Amino acid sequence: MQATTTVIGMGNPILSDDSVGVRLAHDVGLAFCGRTDVLVVEECSVGGLNMLDYLEGFERAVVLDAIHTKGGTPGTCYRFTAADLRETTNLCNVHDANFATALALGRSLGMTLPEDSDIHVFAVEIVDDLTFGTELTPLVARRYPACLHRVLRGLKSLLDTSPAPVT
Amino acid sequence: MSREISIDPITRLEGHGKIQIFLDDDGAVEDCYFQIPELRGFERFVEGRPIEELPRIVTRICGVCPASHHMASAKAVDGCFGGQVAPLAHKLRDMYYHAHFIHSHTAHFYALAAPDFVCGPDSDPAQRNILGLVAKVGLEIGGKVIEARSQAQRIQQIIGGRTTHLVWCIPGGVSKGLKAEELEEIRPLVANLYEFTQFSLQLFRDIVLGNEGYVDLILNGPYTLDLHNMGLVDENLAPNFYDGQVRVVDCEGQEICRYSEHEYADHVAEHVEPWTYLKFPYLKQRGWQGFVEGKDSPLYTATPLSRLNVAERMATPKAQEAYEEMFTTLGGRPCKALLASHWARLVEMVQNAEMLQMYCDDPEITSEEFRVIPDKITGEGIGIVEAMRGTLTHHYTCDENGICTSANLIVGTTNNNAAIHMVTKKVASTMIKPGVEPDQGILNLVEMAFRSFDPCYSCATHSLPGKMPLEVAIVQGGETVRTFQRGIGRR
Repeated sequence: MQATTTVIGMGNPILSDDSVGVRLAHDVGLAFCGRTDVLVVEECSVGGLNMLDYLEGFERAVVLDAIHTKGGTPGTCYRFTAADLRETTNLCNVHDANFATALALGRSLGMTLPEDSDIHVFAVEIVDDLTFGTELTPLVARRYPACLHRVLRGLKSLLDTSPAPVT
Repeated sequence: MSREISIDPITRLEGHGKIQIFLDDDGAVEDCYFQIPELRGFERFVEGRPIEELPRIVTRICGVCPASHHMASAKAVDGCFGGQVAPLAHKLRDMYYHAHFIHSHTAHFYALAAPDFVCGPDSDPAQRNILGLVAKVGLEIGGKVIEARSQAQRIQQIIGGRTTHLVWCIPGGVSKGLKAEELEEIRPLVANLYEFTQFSLQLFRDIVLGNEGYVDLILNGPYTLDLHNMGLVDENLAPNFYDGQVRVVDCEGQEICRYSEHEYADHVAEHVEPWTYLKFPYLKQRGWQGFVEGKDSPLYTATPLSRLNVAERMATPKAQEAYEEMFTTLGGRPCKALLASHWARLVEMVQNAEMLQMYCDDPEITSEEFRVIPDKITGEGIGIVEAMRGTLTHHYTCDENGICTSANLIVGTTNNNAAIHMVTKKVASTMIKPGVEPDQGILNLVEMAFRSFDPCYSCATHSLPGKMPLEVAIVQGGETVRTFQRGIGRR
């Protein structure tokens, strides 16, 4: 059976809280080990046009990432879809096109990509993504189990439903 | 009453940066600061780790030029183990690196640079991107860009096993060679990439050179600086991205110095300003003199244009033709028009593609002597490569057990820090005048100044911003009287 859902851990494992998406993807991989309909990419640090390579051919994508919001509570796990990301400077880097632009370009070129509503983002509010280090900050580390629980529950729920046909 | 304009964060700039433009009572630009408001501390992070791990760690400094850090680090680590490297490994590393250059330059030119010229520098920011470009020049070009980028990526994957987080270079060589069947997969990809470089050059001729206004903007606009040029050259004084000597040529074309990796500290020093974390490299023997242009200045640029300015020729025939066309059109070498870096990238891509072709025809490239096992630790190594956005230096020391005791990095964009600061001020002073309210078009013209450097400050910061990707605020008497917002953030 070919994988129809990809789970992508975004982040840098040596940049403190920036690693939270990578950690989540690792744990998702363990939890869903043996499922042939899911492909887990534990560590992804590319963005822009390069993201198309990770998404092409899948009906659904689940992106696990870190997020900074104004006044957000560290360790909070947000969930949204690419339909909410009309434009952002970077899902990973801003050296090239932003994520929304890359998706639009890919679709216009006829690439097989998930619909915006089938690109699900779980993003954890973080404290520090500027300091090199291999550990999460204490506030994020404390909430990590709850975040993982939410991701696993959300992913299971998604896998029980059919995504939209790929475009 | 004085006013302040802030551009924070800068769009399409890897990492976080901020421009503050201070206006005087009449509304003219009084001063301008390009700031990097974060301290990354990577060098301290690697102290105490086994030195051979560093090439694998440094790929995570930055998601934009991981291969550049990997190569510079590998060369520095080679030095720490006595410097003996299998000749085939140098070829394979160089081959990989040419594909990496094409991949990166393609993204920069088509996603960042070309939209300014195709859509127009003062066009709606929402349209001034690769989608706008495709809408103007056709869907076919978008397909070619995606295909070329993907093929360059595939070549890297075949040669080095990975594209982003390389674990390939090891002390004395590389961990895998290139099999004959892998080479056969690469050949047609290289042929297509070569065609793509020719296509890109023609596109540049049609879109940019075919527009008198753009040529005038490049040559006669405020985007020029009388600074010196730095770049790696081979023994024939042609550009070399992976190895060679660093050559510095002054703003009149005279060689100031040429030095090997181990001599870098004799020639380059770094100045610190209190308003930014990013240092300002300068030519050590001239001493820091402030942000000054001219023949006696200690400041230099290290960009694609700089690399061609220091080179007497290109290493391959078609690249040589493109090089001659460029400098003939631009009025000779050295060229001081910073926006010409976009053109220089395309010329470099031709050399990259031709070098890939050369390696494909090298009968030794698939042999198996790709590593020499080091038998000693000498304790110090320096690796210099050309990152896409400038000369990149890694300098390590380690103890007798091979544990890292110090690391110093001068990254590509750091070399250009003074130049970016100076040209931003120059362009802002030209474009923002008393009685003229700065609009999106004017601010994009300011952004174009530093965008020509393809600057990168992030070292892998990538969390969703949660705020407007670009906000420009005009502050008068301590209150924000007008804001410009670009893009829509998540929250």
